Amino acid sequence: MNEHSKKTLTFNKSTLFSLKAELLKKQEEVLEKKNLPKHRLENYKPVKVLDKNKHESNNPQTLKSKLKAIDTDELEAQRKSKCALEKKAELYEHLANNAGHSELAGRFLVDFKEKKQQGITMPDVELTEVQLVEKEEKEDGDWIEFTDCLGRTRKCLKSDLDFYKKRDKELMKRMPGFEEDESDMTEKKAEHPFLVQKTKDYLQSLRQKWEEKEKELLAKDQDIHYQDILFDEARMHGVGYYAFSTDETERKKQIEQLMKEREETIKAQKQAEELRKKRDELVAARVAAAKARQRMRLGLPPEDPEDKQNEFRKCLIEFLNEKKTEADNKANEEEKRLKEEREKERQKERAAYIREWDLGKEGVDDKVTKFRVMTQEEYVEKQRAKRINEFAPLEASTSRKSKFSFDTQGSKVNTQINIKESDSTKKKTWADVRQEVRPLTPPPLHEINDLNQKGLYFSSKKSENSVKYKNFVKSGDPIPIQNELSDEEDNVRRHDKRHNEYHSEIAPPPTYDYYGPEPKISKHQKPFESDIRESFAQGTKSLETKSTGIHLPKHYDFTFD
Amino acid sequence: MASSEVSFSRKITEDLSNVEFDTSEDVEVIPTFDSMNLRDELLRGIYTYGFEKPSAIQQRSILPIVKGRDVIAQAQSGTGKTATFSISILQSLDTTLRETQVLILSPTRELATQIQKVILALGDYMNVQCHACIGGTNLGEDIRKLDYGQHVVSGTPGRVFDMIRRRVLRTRSIKMLVLDEADEMLNKGFKEQIYDVYRYLPPATQVVLISATLPHEILEMTSKFMTDPIRILVKRDELTLEGIKQFFVAVEREEWKFDTLCDLYDTLTITQAVIFCNTKRKVDWLTQKMQEANFTVSSMHGDMPQKERDNIMKEFRSGQSRVLITTDVWARGIDVQQVSLVINYDLPNNRELYIHRIGRSGRFGRKGVAINFVKSDDIRILRDIEQYYSTQIDEMPMNVADLF
Repeated sequence: MNEHSKKTLTFNKSTLFSLKAELLKKQEEVLEKKNLPKHRLENYKPVKVLDKNKHESNNPQTLKSKLKAIDTDELEAQRKSKCALEKKAELYEHLANNAGHSELAGRFLVDFKEKKQQGITMPDVELTEVQLVEKEEKEDGDWIEFTDCLGRTRKCLKSDLDFYKKRDKELMKRMPGFEEDESDMTEKKAEHPFLVQKTKDYLQSLRQKWEEKEKELLAKDQDIHYQDILFDEARMHGVGYYAFSTDETERKKQIEQLMKEREETIKAQKQAEELRKKRDELVAARVAAAKARQRMRLGLPPEDPEDKQNEFRKCLIEFLNEKKTEADNKANEEEKRLKEEREKERQKERAAYIREWDLGKEGVDDKVTKFRVMTQEEYVEKQRAKRINEFAPLEASTSRKSKFSFDTQGSKVNTQINIKESDSTKKKTWADVRQEVRPLTPPPLHEINDLNQKGLYFSSKKSENSVKYKNFVKSGDPIPIQNELSDEEDNVRRHDKRHNEYHSEIAPPPTYDYYGPEPKISKHQKPFESDIRESFAQGTKSLETKSTGIHLPKHYDFTFD
Repeated sequence: MASSEVSFSRKITEDLSNVEFDTSEDVEVIPTFDSMNLRDELLRGIYTYGFEKPSAIQQRSILPIVKGRDVIAQAQSGTGKTATFSISILQSLDTTLRETQVLILSPTRELATQIQKVILALGDYMNVQCHACIGGTNLGEDIRKLDYGQHVVSGTPGRVFDMIRRRVLRTRSIKMLVLDEADEMLNKGFKEQIYDVYRYLPPATQVVLISATLPHEILEMTSKFMTDPIRILVKRDELTLEGIKQFFVAVEREEWKFDTLCDLYDTLTITQAVIFCNTKRKVDWLTQKMQEANFTVSSMHGDMPQKERDNIMKEFRSGQSRVLITTDVWARGIDVQQVSLVINYDLPNNRELYIHRIGRSGRFGRKGVAINFVKSDDIRILRDIEQYYSTQIDEMPMNVADLF
């Protein structure tokens, strides 16, 4: 008995109830499964099984055809489960026959010893609840396997079969939603577990609602708003969100109301603000008065001086800040102006740009023809028109005819040959165009060198280029202009002087060999001579620092500690 | 600087494959909606929709678009790109003119509908009219709606082009074209359709490109239909969001993925989840299998009738269904706030799609989790993605449910 007690399962009311609950839950699950769409649970449905078996007994042919229809996958699964069940049954039987003496039996909760005895003395207790539908007769005559109304496979003695059948029918009748007439459709509907049915109905109703809403929307020849197409979306909105009515007139009213309320809110906010300000002032005045009284009581003079000092400090800071912001503003404005200018320029370029995908569209082709490459003359004329007169070449220089001109290499060439040459290459350069006009002045020498290296390339981009006099080099004798601001070109001027003295008509070649190293280098040797702007800046800076020092008398010198 | 100017003013013929595209200089950052000089009604719409402070992309892109510049805007998923161009559109609309002024094209019908919804929501106080012009719907109704007069049309390229050709959608007053998910729209499948539509628009129409992913080859071709665009770009190592934690589950065989998914089901339903498969057939198969195993799931893909797609979307948006099995039709742009888990049942076919798929979760600052099911030979692909975006994809921890 010791061994027995080890396996005793204590029963009380609560365990029985939980068993019952478990059973009901399982029942519900099965029914739920049955009603799932696309779910091929029909084969497991007891009702179906009942039918099938009826058919089977009458007409085995139909069963076979039905089986054929079942998915091969499922057949495989069925076969597997059947296999497993058979194995289980074998083991069970083996254990039962050995009456649980084996070690193996000790592993299971079922007490096979007891079971065997019970089996002999009374009909299986477990089976009393369970019922019927004969499935298959087993060879060993007495025992029969059947499926009950819950879809469970059971075994019982052949003699007890009728009894169990009756019990099963009773059980079926007691089950929720069972109706005698077994027309599939009604049964299906009725057998939905409460919750599943509920959600399904709900979803269906939702879909219907949406559909109606959509139809309404389509029919509506009015404006469509957010609320119309929200369709119960679960979305978080801002705190100020207000779900307007989908009815147009109602909506308008609501908006009006909202605006009115908003105005009122703003008004109320303003009033509250004013009130608070007034109150704060009052409090401040009262505190000040109290302080003054206290001081008086102590016999101290009123604390004016400190106030004044504070005031002065405030003023000063304000003044300084103002100055600073003024300067900042100026700088900002300048920057902004520059930016705007740049932006304008770019906007022009943008307007002129033609997208590949736009080609062939109306109005685009005109634009294409409008934009063409100017000839060199046209470009020069255009640039000349833009030129500020003050920067124009001198009268004197333009009136004098030159006998010689120089090509880009700086060597003297005959004018006619030059033209011919340029014709032959079909590339007109600035020098060609400017034949008759006398250049302004020779450029600084290093620029000539640069020019030689670069060749004649004129970018169409920078308009400043037109004023740079490196473009004016190529023809005629250079006329020296004394540059008072710079002394770096002394040696150049000396050369020029010599030129005039000896009336030399052959200009020296502007090459590196002739002039030696670039004068740029000499610039570095005398750092401050030419950079007037920098010195100006430094001067003003020092002045500024001085002046700020002067403004403050010594006793006001506080260092904001 | 100079080189960019030259290349812009001349017709670009040189090879751009070595040029690195960067965010344009002098892009202004405006920290609040209030300081953007927007209309009062629009501002009210923005706040009631739930935006309080503009996101990074909104701070940078709204102004240039409003100014009329062509803009290429890139930002991480779920950071308010749709709202960015919607706000700009609404600001530059003339609501008294009852004609189509803005055309928005997107790759999927659901996305086009969603954009319509956003425009209507933000413009709720402006009385703006926006129509979703998408395939799979009644042609007659579409024509009627367009005839009624729409300020903005949000649609898919096929139906929009059809409407333009029928002269139902008049392009005369269109001043802005927006390509949402621009890289997808300019990909091989869509590019011709976009070109067709573009040919009907007035020349030099303002063009706005928006996407979370903008591969180099897309940026290269923009000069064909854009003028000196302002670029607001994101480096690819900053493209994944901190808020979306990424994991993988290693499975030895394909069959095990299903079991893993069943094990994860309870986690899925904590909020809402999207499961991505690579093919429509697999979506059907997985859906059926899940339902057979008694799990409640819904599914959606491109072969379903539009009506059903709509219903599924509505159910999912309303929270009635919590687990959605779908294809890449759902990968881009769809915004359901409550989605916090994305499962890649199959790894996506390219790196961009990965970003878009995991971006269905973690919307606008929320937390998200992405779980990748990888077979042993897929791990290499996942590591590649991880490296490409400089992100971290760890093995899934046991407490994954605590992460959202």
